[in-house]
Amino acid sequence: MNTYICRYCRQPSDPQSPTCPLCGAPVDIRSSVSDSGWVQQPPIKDMARLQFGQSHVQIAGTTVPVAEFNLAPNDWVYFSHHTLLWTEPATRLTNMPMRGAWNRMMAGMPLVMLEARGPGHVALSDNHAGEVIALPLQHGQQIWVREHRFLAATGNIRYDWYPSDIWYETGQDSNDREMHYPMGQFGDVFGSHEGPGLLLLHAPGNAFIRDLQPGQSLLIQPSALLYRDVSVRMAMHLEYPRNMGFAFWHNRWSYRSIFVRLFGPGRVAVQSVYEAPEDTEVIVNHSYATTHHW
Amino acid sequence: MVTCYLPSVEMIQCRWCQAQNQPGSTSCQTCGAPLDERDKVSDSGWREAPRLRDMTEFQFSGSTCQVEGELVPVAEITLHPQDGVYFEHHVLLWKDESVPLSSLNTGGGMKRTIGGMPHIVTVANGPGRIAFSRDAPGELVVLPLHPGMELDVREHAFLVASHSVQYSFIRIKGLVNLLHGGNGMYIDRFITTGAPGMLLLHGNGNVMQRMLAPGEKILVEPGGFLYKDSTVQMQAAQMPLKTGHFRHGMYLAEMTGPGRIGIQSMYVHHHSD
Repeated sequence: MNTYICRYCRQPSDPQSPTCPLCGAPVDIRSSVSDSGWVQQPPIKDMARLQFGQSHVQIAGTTVPVAEFNLAPNDWVYFSHHTLLWTEPATRLTNMPMRGAWNRMMAGMPLVMLEARGPGHVALSDNHAGEVIALPLQHGQQIWVREHRFLAATGNIRYDWYPSDIWYETGQDSNDREMHYPMGQFGDVFGSHEGPGLLLLHAPGNAFIRDLQPGQSLLIQPSALLYRDVSVRMAMHLEYPRNMGFAFWHNRWSYRSIFVRLFGPGRVAVQSVYEAPEDTEVIVNHSYATTHHW
Repeated sequence: MVTCYLPSVEMIQCRWCQAQNQPGSTSCQTCGAPLDERDKVSDSGWREAPRLRDMTEFQFSGSTCQVEGELVPVAEITLHPQDGVYFEHHVLLWKDESVPLSSLNTGGGMKRTIGGMPHIVTVANGPGRIAFSRDAPGELVVLPLHPGMELDVREHAFLVASHSVQYSFIRIKGLVNLLHGGNGMYIDRFITTGAPGMLLLHGNGNVMQRMLAPGEKILVEPGGFLYKDSTVQMQAAQMPLKTGHFRHGMYLAEMTGPGRIGIQSMYVHHHSD
């Protein structure tokens, strides 16, 4: 029996189909791999359908793609309310009960988690030019996702969140102290514990993936991390470039690059749009970090 | 008696604007939509607005419009001496020096603002070239208007309209965007009477259109609403959902047919009063 493993979602797939029925990645193109080993995640083909349970989701559009769900009776998905684009009156929308004090903000506004139950249609889209990333999760599989990248998940996927533990503090004076979270204050963890499920993310810009070997490490811009296997560990890394200009004493401690170091084994994905830290204040305290002065 | 049989010419009908085109055409002469690509209609009936190929040209009245760029497209218009167009002044990208500009009396006085600045609609007359673009990734939506049509467009989406299209605007309460909330938005209304016209919009992200049957309803995120036929009724529908705002619930735009509606997949927040 021919078993084709999709190169992107790593699940058994159908080689005769133009797109993987689980993640929508094209089957009929060769991989684009950069010289350094990053594999470009191909955009889901316009109008591709992804099956889950008795329902399916169709991805429409190529600039800011829309995930259009056709929910069978009793199938449901959950999503953050700000991604809702349209729905039908027959589709039931309810607040999703959240464990603990889930209190997520965006642009100063509170986010609310909603459930949509079939039968009916509901469509979601994020607010940036980019790609929808489909991650089918097998039973027992978990994935860590950067906050605000989550688009939707099927009802059988469990959702947890944890502090990201990547932070630093600036401000010499106790009145000026400010906390910074280069990767966001929280990370989202999705796991499938009741059979296979489907997780959809939205990546601003383009997405690239690679596999880290055991012990292999990588430095990336913190806000560029899109998702990682839970087996991949993270820590902050601070680099201070060699100072070539004046005001030596000031630049030595404030002009720095902030990275996150990823340790394998496992798969990691980055997006090409990120928010660079804007402040240049001296770091007075930080989470565990490795440091290098050039 | 001699009977002559003229050979029938099979014209190509554009699936976006229904105009007839010469055989062998690859793009519609009236709206620029590709004629040699298959329709993209989702299972629930949303048709993707045709993505205009770079450098596509189409005609309206005696003038020509060329669309340049595919990320934030530019509409470059070569105006016939008898033609004019109007637009919000801040979308003007460049123009020939000889193209005269004047302001359109919109009747709103100084009440309408955008980003704290007065909302001004400018008129340009031919002959000459002039170009327009908005400020976010998206696509140009070309809407040829036949005589007797009325179209409503959300604020900050209108790019340019031909002089034969009448313009007005109204303010509606209670709808802006699910995340930013807000207490309302302006709706631009475009009307053609005795002559056809051309309307170009800029939709953020991707644009999709759907026809609603009489009485058919759909609920749209207010920030996603882009345009509708005036026959489609739009009203704020409060959802029985908690949003974390103590005073405000969650409102969607309930659209009731008949008519077509267009949506955009991305919302760009502009402060306007």
